[in-house]
Amino acid sequence: MPGPVGIVANPASGKDIRRLVARASVFDNQEKSAIVRRVLVGAMAAGARDFAYLPDTHNIAAEAAHEFKDKANFTEVQITRTASTMDTVYAAQAMFDIGCSIVLTLGGDGTNRAFAKGWQNVPLVPISTGTNNVFPGLVEGTVAGAAAGLIAAGKIELASVSNQVKATTIEIENEEDDLALVDAVLVEGGFVGARAIWSSEQLKTAVLTRAEASAVGLTAIGGLINPITQSDDTALVIQFGPDGELINAPIAPGLYEPVPVISTDVIEFGETVTVEGPGVLAFDGERERVLRKGQTAKLQVNRNGPHVVDVHATLTKAAHLGLFLTK
Amino acid sequence: MELTKDILLDLHRRMVRIRHFEDEAGKLSESGQMPGALHLYVGEEAVAAGVMVHLSDEDQITSTHRGHGHLVAKGGDFKQMYAELYGRSTGYNKGKGGSMHIANVDAGMLGANGIVAAGPPIAVGAGFSNKYRGTKNVAVPFFGDGATNEGSFHEAANMAAVWKLPVVFVCENNGYGEFTPQAEHQAIKDITDRAAGYGMPGIQADGMDAIAVWEAAGEAIERARNGEGPTLLECKTYRYYDHVGRSGIGLEYRSDEELDEYRKEDPIPKIEKHLIDNNVLTADEIQAVHDGILAEIAEAIKFAENSPLPDPSTVTEDVYYTG
Repeated sequence: MPGPVGIVANPASGKDIRRLVARASVFDNQEKSAIVRRVLVGAMAAGARDFAYLPDTHNIAAEAAHEFKDKANFTEVQITRTASTMDTVYAAQAMFDIGCSIVLTLGGDGTNRAFAKGWQNVPLVPISTGTNNVFPGLVEGTVAGAAAGLIAAGKIELASVSNQVKATTIEIENEEDDLALVDAVLVEGGFVGARAIWSSEQLKTAVLTRAEASAVGLTAIGGLINPITQSDDTALVIQFGPDGELINAPIAPGLYEPVPVISTDVIEFGETVTVEGPGVLAFDGERERVLRKGQTAKLQVNRNGPHVVDVHATLTKAAHLGLFLTK
Repeated sequence: MELTKDILLDLHRRMVRIRHFEDEAGKLSESGQMPGALHLYVGEEAVAAGVMVHLSDEDQITSTHRGHGHLVAKGGDFKQMYAELYGRSTGYNKGKGGSMHIANVDAGMLGANGIVAAGPPIAVGAGFSNKYRGTKNVAVPFFGDGATNEGSFHEAANMAAVWKLPVVFVCENNGYGEFTPQAEHQAIKDITDRAAGYGMPGIQADGMDAIAVWEAAGEAIERARNGEGPTLLECKTYRYYDHVGRSGIGLEYRSDEELDEYRKEDPIPKIEKHLIDNNVLTADEIQAVHDGILAEIAEAIKFAENSPLPDPSTVTEDVYYTG
């Protein structure tokens, strides 16, 4: 029997400065808790009975689990809580250790990146509750839960309905490595501050695992010049500068900015892109690591990220197999 | 917004001024030299500094029972502040306000306040005045997580949103309403979740990082100045000392481990590392900033101790506004 369904709800997603400097929507934690409840209903309808969740600082998952405590088995994963991104990283490691068969994340690109830092090739159903949601799709929790439940109950094989996505690994000189799932960007400045990026003038170099014309965020810049899909075994490198050609791109929700692009280059898996400080490295839309003057970072894209479940394909397969028929 | 060296130095200086002012006041209180209860702001300096860097004397703030830090950051003079805490006639409020009612209207500091959530309606009045008079000034009420349970906060937030007033509501969420953990006094953990109910944007900033607060507050204040209405800015922060005084009254309501975790996030060493890493100041120059402020404080304490108490004949003066 496959392991439990892991659930991670990020209480901090959907609340940063982009509600002011752009027009992003607020995602309150009551709604996140309601989504977890719907996920549980869906997963149980598909046959799952064992769940493990991150005891987040806001009790989003715990409160939802409490409602169903008589109908399923719940395990609170043991982590040292830091009330920071590290909670998600530690939860990923703990969920790997207890053998979760599938994990549902509630958050945006940043949440999924943090989870992948702890468990890089995790089987994943990402549900969007963040600001920029390129990685997690807009999917209703009920059916996302059902898809996860089918896999956890052993009714559908993960490999038949999932695809391993690309990831960028970042080797930072004399420091810990890092990871990005969608975009890794060097921006000007020397501080992390409010984390989000909303000014195109800051941009220096970007490595995009996917460049999607219909997405919002830094990936859209590449997408509007040279689209690269998740299934392409390539990535896109963009150089920015004041003399570049201007491309009007939605770099945050409700925010189109003219972005000066000097060049775009398609790179193959394993090719190394080196960037040098001073500057700040931003991953999946958020400033994360400061590069000192002369300090280098080497970026490489490979298909070694999470195995993301196609919810539609999973439920379609379940329909063909008659898995929801009751006598 | 460009984070210049001058802004970095300003953020650092304001925080160090608050830290030493509070530490020395706390020691004087514990030794019995200074009268009255003190609610110390140590640990939360990044919030006051990050917001106040954007404000002029014509911009107004309202404060809380934990108000010294706000006045220091708003440019408060140490001599008049210590004199006020000592209850001397040379204090900002002639020694009659003390710690919890210290004010300096000339600098736009409309007062600390012993009543939880009393500040937001006052700030909304100031915001209305700014709009009515057609100035570009902004009013900023500071308040804690507990204050957002009070009716006066709701009324103030509602009115500011309806009238699109230039008010930036800054919640210093330190996780405790006095000695009560947040989870025991409200069913939400993010005060930002309340913003949608008033029809205003709500955003969060790391209240242990002056640069993060500076960046978020700057955008909210700019928005207010441009007539785009109020914002609720929640800064997640922590107070290092007890609710009252430095060592408090011995109630066990939070763990040493929790305090240790937040000590690691101390906003002053954090910005000092940034100053050194970016060649803005050397370690010696940072020490000189501390030494200079400590010397200024020693002089201010001497001034306060040597100042006269208010004359009993003035007890009915300054009680009511007489125009």
